[in-house]
Order: sequence, then C-alpha cells, then structure tokens
Amino acid sequence: MHAPHTATPTVTQPRSWRSRLSSLDVKYSPYAYVAPFFILFGLIGLFPLVYTFVVSLNDWNLLTGPGDWVGFANFSRELGDALFWNSLFNTFSIFLLSSVPQIITAVVIAALLDQNLRAKTFWRLSVLIPYVVTPVAVALIFSNIFGEKYGLVNNVLGSIGLDPVMWKTETFPSHVALATMVNWRWTGYNTLIVLAAMQAVPRDIYESAAIDGAGPVRRFLSITIPSIRPTLIFVIITSTIGGLQIFTEPKLFNAASSVPGGPQRQYQTTVLYLWDLAFNRQEFGRAAAVAWILFLLIVAIGVLNFLLARTISGTETRLVSRRRHTRAASLTAGSITKEPRA
Amino acid sequence: MTTFRRRSAIGAAFASLALLATACSPTATDAASPGATDTTKPATSKPATSEPAAPAENIELTITTFGTMGLDGLYKEYEQAHPGITIKATNIDTGGNALTDWQTKQAAGAGLPDVQAVEEGWLSKVMSVSDSFTDLRDYGASDIASRWVPWKVAQATDQKGRIIGYGTDIGPQGICFNGKSLKAAGMPGDRDGFAQLLGGKDATWQKFFDVGKQYRDKTGKAWYDQSGFVWNSMVNQLDEGYYTKDGKLNVKDNAQLKERWTMLADAAKAGLSSNQTQWDWGGGKAFLDDSFATFVCPGWMLGVVKGQVEAGGGDATSGWDFADVYPGGAANWGGSFLTVPTTSKHPKEAAELAAWLTDAKQEVASFQAAGAFPSVVAAQQDPGVTGPSDLTKFFNNAPVGEILAKRAEGVKAQFKGPDDSVIQEQVFGPSVQAIDSGKADGQKAWDDAMKLLDTVVG
Repeated sequence: MHAPHTATPTVTQPRSWRSRLSSLDVKYSPYAYVAPFFILFGLIGLFPLVYTFVVSLNDWNLLTGPGDWVGFANFSRELGDALFWNSLFNTFSIFLLSSVPQIITAVVIAALLDQNLRAKTFWRLSVLIPYVVTPVAVALIFSNIFGEKYGLVNNVLGSIGLDPVMWKTETFPSHVALATMVNWRWTGYNTLIVLAAMQAVPRDIYESAAIDGAGPVRRFLSITIPSIRPTLIFVIITSTIGGLQIFTEPKLFNAASSVPGGPQRQYQTTVLYLWDLAFNRQEFGRAAAVAWILFLLIVAIGVLNFLLARTISGTETRLVSRRRHTRAASLTAGSITKEPRA
Repeated sequence: MTTFRRRSAIGAAFASLALLATACSPTATDAASPGATDTTKPATSKPATSEPAAPAENIELTITTFGTMGLDGLYKEYEQAHPGITIKATNIDTGGNALTDWQTKQAAGAGLPDVQAVEEGWLSKVMSVSDSFTDLRDYGASDIASRWVPWKVAQATDQKGRIIGYGTDIGPQGICFNGKSLKAAGMPGDRDGFAQLLGGKDATWQKFFDVGKQYRDKTGKAWYDQSGFVWNSMVNQLDEGYYTKDGKLNVKDNAQLKERWTMLADAAKAGLSSNQTQWDWGGGKAFLDDSFATFVCPGWMLGVVKGQVEAGGGDATSGWDFADVYPGGAANWGGSFLTVPTTSKHPKEAAELAAWLTDAKQEVASFQAAGAFPSVVAAQQDPGVTGPSDLTKFFNNAPVGEILAKRAEGVKAQFKGPDDSVIQEQVFGPSVQAIDSGKADGQKAWDDAMKLLDTVVG
C-alpha cells in the first residue's frame, strides 16, 4: 500500500485530494446546509418536548423542583379531573364557534375578491389589517366592547330596550365573544391564502363552464371549491392547531379575574388551565402532563382531519372524472362501446 | 435584475453582520467594563467622593419592582450618593405579572435581579424556597430590625430565623366612602359622622351591612362595589385564616369563616353588592355614577381609587373621602418586601440598597409618590406622611397618613399557608361571584367552594 503512493507523489496527490474534496462536497454539503434547521429544531423543538415528558412523570413543584417519580399518575389524575374536562369542552366550543364560520366567511370573501374589482390591491390588503394588530391589543379592545356594565355592545342592546348579555360570566356568551375576537383577527389571513389558491385556477375552465351554461354559484361550487381543496385542507389544519392552543384571548378577556378564564371557569381553555396549574398552583408535573395530552390530541385531530379530507377529495375526483366520462360518452357515440360502465 | 440581486445579497450580508454585532455586544461590554473602570475610575472619582467606603469599581445593581411602589425617584439619589453604582430598574405593571415573572426565573434558576420586590401575598411561596434568598442578617439586618413594626419583620423571617426581606409598605385598612352619595341618602356624609354611623371603634361587619341596608332602602343603590375585596378583608383580620397557626388547612370546620360567609351572602342577596368587575369598574366610571357608596381601602388602594376616578373623568369634587373606621377591627391587606436572591453577584451592595430604600426618609418619599403606607415606625409619624399631599387633597382633605397610622395599630400577622392565595382566589373566587350575581345562595355557594377545595387543593 505504501509503495505506489510514494512512487507518484507530486502529480496525483493534489488532484486526488481536490477531487475527493469535491466528491465529499457533493455528497455531504447538502446535509450541512439543512443541518441548521434540524439543530435548531432539536434544541428548541424536540428537547422541550422530551423534557416536558420527563417533567410530566414527576411530582414536580414549580419552585422547589422535582419531587417523586410518579410515572403516569399525573396523566390519569388529569383525565379524572373535572376542571381538565371543563377546559377541553371550552376549547372545543370556542374552536368550533370560531373556525367553522371563519373558514366559510374566508372562502366567500376570497371568492368576492377574486372577481374583477376596481382597486383590487386595496381591497385585498385591507382584509389583512386585523391580522397586523397584536392579539393583546385585540383582546383589550374587545374585552372593553364586551364589558358587562359599561361595554359598547350592552350599551347598544340597552338603548334598544334589550337585556344586557353577561359576556364575561355566562358560558355561551363568553364563548361567542372570544370566537368573535379570533374571527376578527384570522378571517382576513385565511382569506388571503384561499384567494391565492383561487388565483391559480385556470380561467378557461370558468369560461367553458360559463359557455356550458353554469351560473356563478354553480361555478363556485363545482370548479372553485374542488380546485382549492388542498389549500382548504391546509387552512383547516392550521386553524385547528391554532384553535386548540388558544390562550391570549381568554387570558386577557378579563385580565384581573382571580381565576384565569372567568370566575366560574366559563372560558378557561386547556392552555389557560395548563398555565393556571403551573403558575398559580405550582403543579408543574401535572401541567406538563396536560401539555402532552394536548399535544397528542392535536396530532390525533390532525391525522383525522387529513384522512377525512383525503377520503372526501378522493370520492370527489372519482365523481368528477366519472361525470367527465359520461359527458364525453354522450358527445361521442363511438366511445359507448369502449366504456360500457358509463 | 443583476443589480437587484447583488443589492439584496449585500443587504443580507449587512443584516447578518448586524445580528452578529447585537448578539455579541452585551458580553463584549460586560467583559470590557470592569477592567476599563478599574484603571480609570479611581483617578477621576476619588476627589469627588467624601466617603472612603464607596466601592472603587463600577457595579450595576438590577432591581425589579411592580405596581406603584413609589421608588422610581429614589434611584438617582442613591446613585449620586454612591459613585460607582448604577441602578437598572424594572417595574412590572401588576403584582400578578410580577409573581409570574419571579416564579419563572426562580424555577429556571437564572435571570433574577439583585434586589427583588416581593408581595405579602406571595410570602407562602417565597418561604417554600427561602434558602434561595440571602439572609440579610449577614449584612446587618439584626441591627436595623427595630425600624419596622414588629409583625412586618416577623413576616419576613423564615422558620430557621433568617430574615430575607426588608419591609417597604403595609396595607392597614380604612373605609373609603362617597360623602355626596351618603348625604343624598340623608345620612351623615362627613368623616366623623360616617365613622360613628358604622360604630366607631366598635364597628362590626354586621353593623356595616345593616347601615348598608338602610342606604339601599333609601336609594335603591348598592353599598359596596363587589364582595371579593370585602371577603378578603373579613378573612385577613381573623386570628387564623385558611390555615391554623401550625400550618394545618382550616377551612371546612372553621365556624368563624362560615359565620362571616353567611353574613356576606345575606348582604349580597339584599343587593348591597354592585357586582362590579374587580380592578376594572368600567374604567373607573363606577366610582362616579353612584354605583356604590363605600369601598374597602388599604393605604395603597387610595392611589388606585384616585387613579380610577381620574380615568373615569372625575376629580376631587367627586365626593370620595376616607374614614378612620374599620368593621371587625384592625386589618391589613398587602404590603411588600425587598429581598436579595442568592444569585446576586453583589449581595452586599444589593442589601445596602434594599436597606436604604426602606429607611424612614425614603419610605416617606414613596408614600408621597404612591400612597404606599410605610412599615417603618419613624416614617409613619413623619410630617411628610401625616401632613397634606395630593392624596389628602383628593380625599376631601382627609388626614390620610394619620388615619392609616391609627388603622395600623393592632394588626396581627396572620399565618399564610402554602395554598393561601389559591384558596382565596380559586376556591372562594367563584363563590363570591356567584353570590354577587345571584346565581347561588350562601349555602350552595359555600358547598361549591368546599367541593372546589377538594379538587384544587386536595
């Protein structure tokens, strides 16, 4: 092994070194380029996740630190705690009250913005304004608007002779108020994403549909909606994750309340409950367990969403292609023999 | 196209350079400053200083306070008297946010300031980790302990006898009342008349509620803003509150507590509570529109009342006054301490700063700035406290300082157990709100509270 190397030292060695370097470059540089993300993710994403899990297995006091190793006792205790279920109910209630109308409105507004409007950019950008306002400011403004004794909404209700609504102390009204905040902030954001998807739908499809005699509603339902389905799935999944993690709005809705999430915990969401456990009740271990339960729940709902969306979109494409076949079949008589099923 | 691309590349390079620079700068200056000042500072500062004890090197002391403690004006004065010391102060808006801030940093074991203000309500939590606070006896706390009212020192002493905090303010309670509203109801609207109406020295809660019912009958209006603060006061003045003196949970079979709860629930049922939102009061409007006529007022609350009235668009003519009377005898609500976490790199200087900030002269100054009533005996008798100020002007020229000094007599430090604040807020909070809004009667609200006690504390 030694002999051939030393025999031709001056000519081959630099070249082979350079070529080896370049082959190394080709092979491994991409990993170096993508590494920062994974290192960062490991540091600030994965590590806290694992550490939280370790904390959740301990009877961990926030101030005095780790106590006894309790295994999954924190998890079973939370699953048997009425306050935990209350927080979960509130989270889902607020989530449904916000996400469903929000996505429907976003799609409708996007469809309107997709038309040939005057001053397009102005209208399109102005829907994003609420999103620019920080959630803290939104919460403070809306908590004033929904004040029970001196709030704007109740003043208006009072002036037309209606009873005031207890926005901060009754369950359903408080959920509606919080959902309003979420909707106000996020509808514009989702509108723009949906609008971007609508812009990518080829115009000639609409034209040929119009020639075929399809009205605007029919075009919207049969062309626009199916075409933007992947984007809709994205919007639904991100708003699900956001909706289940809601914290700022309920925290600041009645900022000075001695119990976070309303005196009777009417709108204490799961993340707020988690915060309350950790920072008011010092139960760091149990709070970590709640964090993990929430994490698993979000993953489960995400998967469910995905499967559901895929099934729906699957049947829809089958339906559309079958319809196309039928139409093609009725147009050209010869193809009937080819496609007997249709 | 190419110029655009090149320009953006240069821009990116600059941005990353800027990032690097900002990321590096704090450590760079930190590392550089002690060395630099060691050589330059003594030469320039020596002729100017009269005290030879002043440290030669530059020290930065960080201090975290909250709410309106009235210390902000004092830092500069201290810096001038102590060359080489700079104070970096952080003030957090509310006590609750400050508690979260402290707990997070305490749990993380990093980021705590040299001097940390601690509220009475957190004491049970603070005492559970009292080892992580410097024993101020190492820096002369025993010599100056006679400054304060004795129970204030007792509160800051842990079970091993370590003194971990210097007292700033205390919260002796009197009653704020709206003289105009009372006069309109045909009741005495002056300070002495109002105090006599509630029974003067022998004022009881029963009497307070009875007078409230008379007021309610005459005007149809509520007597106090909401039951939460009243309940706080009723519990705080008991010899033993939610815990016995030896630290046992003392709620379920506590006859005194139950008796007071029944009284409060009856009052709420009779419409004496205006069911206001705590700390909000409609942006202060409720203090101006006759929503209620009385308000429980620890010293520091006077500043809050003034602030609320002003936020609602009112001023000294709105009729609010402060009376030397309190149902059920002396009571204390709130008050703070300055502590030195053991993570401080300059515990000696930090302890000196804390001691200076809580000396008589400075406590007088913070009383004048924020109405925080001093815990130092000499300061309580100082003309700066007993004399006129913005607060006295606002409260119909009531001798606020004198009254508070009288209201501080006979206060006892109640033992606060580990879950005291949780019981106050999370167990009784919902029930207090339920009796105010008429959702539950006294018995049901009490039973609900006991159920919550098992869930939350059990």
